[in-house]
Amino acid sequence: MFVLSFLARRLAQGAIIITLVSLLIFTLLRVVPGDPVRLMVGGMAPDSLVEQIANRMGLRDPILVQFGRYAGQVVRGDLGHSFVRPANGAATGGANFDDATRAERAPVAALIGEALPMTLQLAALALAFALAFSSLVGIAAGLRPGGLADRFAFAVSSIFISLPNFWLAIVLALLFSVKLGWLPAVGYGGFSYTILPAIVLAVELSPVLIRTLSGAVAAQMGEAYVAVGRIRGLTETRIVGAHVLRNAAVPLLNLLGVQFSSLLGGVIIVEYILDYPGLGLLTINAVLQRDFPLIQGIAIVTSAIFVVINILVDLAATIIDPRLAY
Amino acid sequence: MDMPPVLSVRDLSVDLAGPVAGRRILDAIAFDVAPREIVGVVGATGAGKTVLAKALVNGLEPPLTARGTVRFRGQDILNLAPRAMRPLRREIAYVGANPMGALDPTLPVGHQIAEKMRAVNPAVAAAEARRRVVALLDAVRIPSAARRFHDYPSQFSGGMMQRALLVDAMISDPALLVADNVTQPLDVTVAAQVIRLMRELTERFQTAILFVSSSLPVAREAASRTLVIDSGRLVEEQPTEALIARPRHAYTRDLVAQIPTIWTRSPALPRTGEPARDRSESSPVIRLEDVSQTYRVRERGTFAGTSALRAVRNVTFDIHKGDSFAVVGESGCGKSTLMRLLSRLERPSGGRILCDGQDIAPLSGPALLGFRRKLQLVLQDPFNSLPPRTGIGAMLEAPLRTHGWRDAGRIRERVRAVMNDVGLSPALYDALPVGLSAGQRQRINVARAMVLEPEILLMDETLSSLDQTEQFRLLALFEKLQRAHGLTYIFISHDLAMVRKACNRIAVMYLGEVVELADNERLFFDPGHPYTKALLSAMPTLEERRYRPEECLLDGEPPSPIDLPAGCAFRSRCPRAFAPCAAEGPHLVTRGAGALAACHRVTAPGARPVNADAAG
Amino acid sequence: MSVESSLTLGSVPVDTGRSRSIGRRILGRAARATGFRVGLGLLGILVLATVLYPELSGLDPGKMDVRARLLPPLFAGPHWNWAHPLGTDQIGRDMLVRCLIGLRYSFLIGVASTALTLVIGCALGMVAGYFGGRTDAVLMRITDAQLSIPMIILAIAVLGVSRPTIPAIILVLGLSNWPVYARVMRSVAMAERGREYVRAAQVSGATHARIVLTLLTPLLVPPILFTSVLDIARMMIFESTLGFLGLGVQPPTPTFGNIIADGRKYLLNAWWIATMPGVFLGLTLIGLNLIGAACERARNAIHGGA
Repeated sequence: MFVLSFLARRLAQGAIIITLVSLLIFTLLRVVPGDPVRLMVGGMAPDSLVEQIANRMGLRDPILVQFGRYAGQVVRGDLGHSFVRPANGAATGGANFDDATRAERAPVAALIGEALPMTLQLAALALAFALAFSSLVGIAAGLRPGGLADRFAFAVSSIFISLPNFWLAIVLALLFSVKLGWLPAVGYGGFSYTILPAIVLAVELSPVLIRTLSGAVAAQMGEAYVAVGRIRGLTETRIVGAHVLRNAAVPLLNLLGVQFSSLLGGVIIVEYILDYPGLGLLTINAVLQRDFPLIQGIAIVTSAIFVVINILVDLAATIIDPRLAY
Repeated sequence: MDMPPVLSVRDLSVDLAGPVAGRRILDAIAFDVAPREIVGVVGATGAGKTVLAKALVNGLEPPLTARGTVRFRGQDILNLAPRAMRPLRREIAYVGANPMGALDPTLPVGHQIAEKMRAVNPAVAAAEARRRVVALLDAVRIPSAARRFHDYPSQFSGGMMQRALLVDAMISDPALLVADNVTQPLDVTVAAQVIRLMRELTERFQTAILFVSSSLPVAREAASRTLVIDSGRLVEEQPTEALIARPRHAYTRDLVAQIPTIWTRSPALPRTGEPARDRSESSPVIRLEDVSQTYRVRERGTFAGTSALRAVRNVTFDIHKGDSFAVVGESGCGKSTLMRLLSRLERPSGGRILCDGQDIAPLSGPALLGFRRKLQLVLQDPFNSLPPRTGIGAMLEAPLRTHGWRDAGRIRERVRAVMNDVGLSPALYDALPVGLSAGQRQRINVARAMVLEPEILLMDETLSSLDQTEQFRLLALFEKLQRAHGLTYIFISHDLAMVRKACNRIAVMYLGEVVELADNERLFFDPGHPYTKALLSAMPTLEERRYRPEECLLDGEPPSPIDLPAGCAFRSRCPRAFAPCAAEGPHLVTRGAGALAACHRVTAPGARPVNADAAG
Repeated sequence: MSVESSLTLGSVPVDTGRSRSIGRRILGRAARATGFRVGLGLLGILVLATVLYPELSGLDPGKMDVRARLLPPLFAGPHWNWAHPLGTDQIGRDMLVRCLIGLRYSFLIGVASTALTLVIGCALGMVAGYFGGRTDAVLMRITDAQLSIPMIILAIAVLGVSRPTIPAIILVLGLSNWPVYARVMRSVAMAERGREYVRAAQVSGATHARIVLTLLTPLLVPPILFTSVLDIARMMIFESTLGFLGLGVQPPTPTFGNIIADGRKYLLNAWWIATMPGVFLGLTLIGLNLIGAACERARNAIHGGA
């Protein structure tokens, strides 16, 4: 019963968030300069044709009217069609714009549906790397603040946080792929292509995880129940294993919810550099081609993922710490 | 003593390793505890009692280091390694002063007690451990123990948690229990229950108890023999009754002398008004008419459901000029909400609060400032109530500037005058509050309230964080200020002893209602409500009690202010409840001479329900 | 009661260090950390270099020199040359000057956008935390919405569709990062709102604006400033990322991002073009992060102990 009402409330909030996000992106795309129709028809087309097409596509209506129309489609599960991409094959655009081909342009949902699993695979692997490394370093650091592990954690996270991800991707690709030949790096041809980008993302993600985890563990070790637990006769292993880590997991979970967008930001860049066919590559190409429906679709999908992840994170945190259920 | 002592402490010293030089916390402590004996340890805050308790259970952590011997059944355990100590944890149990922090907040209480039991005695099977925990929880009168087993620490009240921790301590049948200030965070009626419970447990389990407390009256309730510690030294050791009757050491004599008396000596009451004035003639400065405050709280497990938390219910009373009016009650009785209503930090959800006949709820702008000038608040916590980085002078100037004073010279003059009034040295004008004692800080608080020359001062637990000596001084200051400025005081407090000294009229609150309203003498000598009697019976005092705890003390704890039961809110704990209590909530009825109580058992001749006009 | 608290209650806490403002105490404590000094030294050298070297050397970051193209850095291959300590790129432009100019823009944009973020985030967070209730709910939903779009999507969407100028970049970066500050500020303002001295001010008749501006702002904002050092570093990374995608400051102005993007094509025969700006950026970020982390640790230590 509790879980159901929790879900109902959070999903309602999530719907508001997604609406706000799509409204924001929708408005931004229409107020900034740069006419997508001009891009679609090509520089040579006469202005009258541009206006004619724009009117037909409803791009000259008031923004709220356009948004209302768009939201109506989205609710029915239709994210629209790409302005630029054909249903199959490379991106088109240019002088051969012809209304008859509009139906053949790729549906946004299909484009995202193709790219999303790739990105999820990458993100999951990156998260697994980052969690494994950060728990090892962060917990050791938190158990003895000021000790060797703590200093190591500080040094590692200071260096990692200072490495720009796109630069690291280039350098690692040069090193592991070109010079050493250990890992494939560019493009996608099987699972092994996921490893290098995942390492880059894990390096980017680890510093915050390490800092949060070591801070949380250190804070929990200072809690009264730890000192009292020793006097009550619990073993140190039990205190740390069953109680401290359990409590320290809550801030870590919350962090994961918040860090989602920076993880996704990293994914976009790394995918672009290493030509990994996921959501990131799709996004950047969509932006460069001013493919408005695609950009909007991606924004809606990412914020929906954000909402779902945060609901899961909060649910997990509530299961660990029932006080959080409000 | 015939039997060999269970605990024998010799020459125990504890040092705090500091960056420059160590500081001695405990110095050459020596005493014995016999089997099944309850030994009290009494001392002021900071005397080293907590360190002593931790040292005895081998629980000191750096930078504290201990020397000497602590023999438990002949074995020195003072600096035993954790591994070697662990088997002994079964025999030596410990309960601390902070029940809410003692267990992992994310796991059910029962599970953690069972976990401890199996940690100190791995031979016990999980199911057996669980069965024993439930049985013991039941034995300490935790209602529906089997269900409570699965509840989390945050679902326990302080008193219930302390009882659960006693279960945690007693679960392995220890030979010695070190109880460090266990009653300190609890309300008096609940603390009295816990002490009674501990005495029962010693008899049942044959456990010796070292009962550490900062309050001599509390220790007396529990202990047959008492040690007095002052600044890390053991200054006196006697059987408790002898210690109280014939204290030998000067420190102990002071300690005994400072315990407030309730019934034996009539305290000097601050009375600026006519002692026997006719209340109905003078018009009140503050009048509460049927005041209620209800909060909406989110209901767990619903989509958008809320339930009503009725924090204050239908409170009606008058406060007259020159009164020292007290609102007393235990945690959760609604007195803090009443404070927020009186100071207009909140508006009541029902009823009216009148100040000089004017409803304060709709005030705004200049009219509100006018009310604020009339009534000022002195806050509870001397450390939280002063902004940390503002100079004392500037702090006292701020209210004046808010109220439109512009002339810097006049402001400075006024602030200096107030500082002088409350006994603050003018040298503090430019100082920051850091490093000042709690008493000095409370003086600043009083000065900040006084600077606007109010007529009414609302004291929110103003004295509860001060020790007895400081309390005396501030009470004297209050009296002086009242005489000089004709002030009216409203004290919000849980401390009946302070109220006895300082107030002439007292309202007792329980679960949001005023259950009794009477003058000082009448309330302490002839209370009309069973709850007041229970409060009086549980008061920590060294006198012979007028009200025996055995007759008056309550069982259980107040119900939740959400979903109040029908009828009298007190009936679930009332020793004298009878049929009408379940049917209808009692109203305040007059018992003559301005005393009122809300109880169906009150049947004074001519008793009649009162309305707002007659109350007060 | 813990051992520590019972001890401090017994002693008279006369500590002259406590009378200094929290900001100074944090700074003083941070300055004692080795990391802080190393970071400050590193940053100092880089700032001096970026201010002085391009002018003193008289080299023009945009000047091509076909004869001196693809020269390696010092001691790192054939034909290296003292005139170009970090070598030259594919059209003979001096890498050191280009990197230092890039650092200027990066730093400028990083500081400016962090300042913007701070102002927006602190203001919204303070309002949400202090007033609570419906105001808080509305502001926090907006914050959540903002948090849910990766800022990089927002930034590239806006800058990709419009023309990236420096003010536009600052605005976009500043506008996309405020939710973090809003959340932090909200939680501290909420905690502080319940403190008794705020109640005292309310009862003395002070208006909300007065309490927020004169009591809370001087108390709550300085500690947050220290954390923001870390965000300058983050902003600089974002700036270079945008540059890399071609959405940052436009060529011919050199930025870390566009140098690296150009250098990618020559990765195999002239590795230094793409890596040198990264090293520079990395050094700057390490400097900032060391300072920021030391400040943050000092802040936590002092807030924990105060």
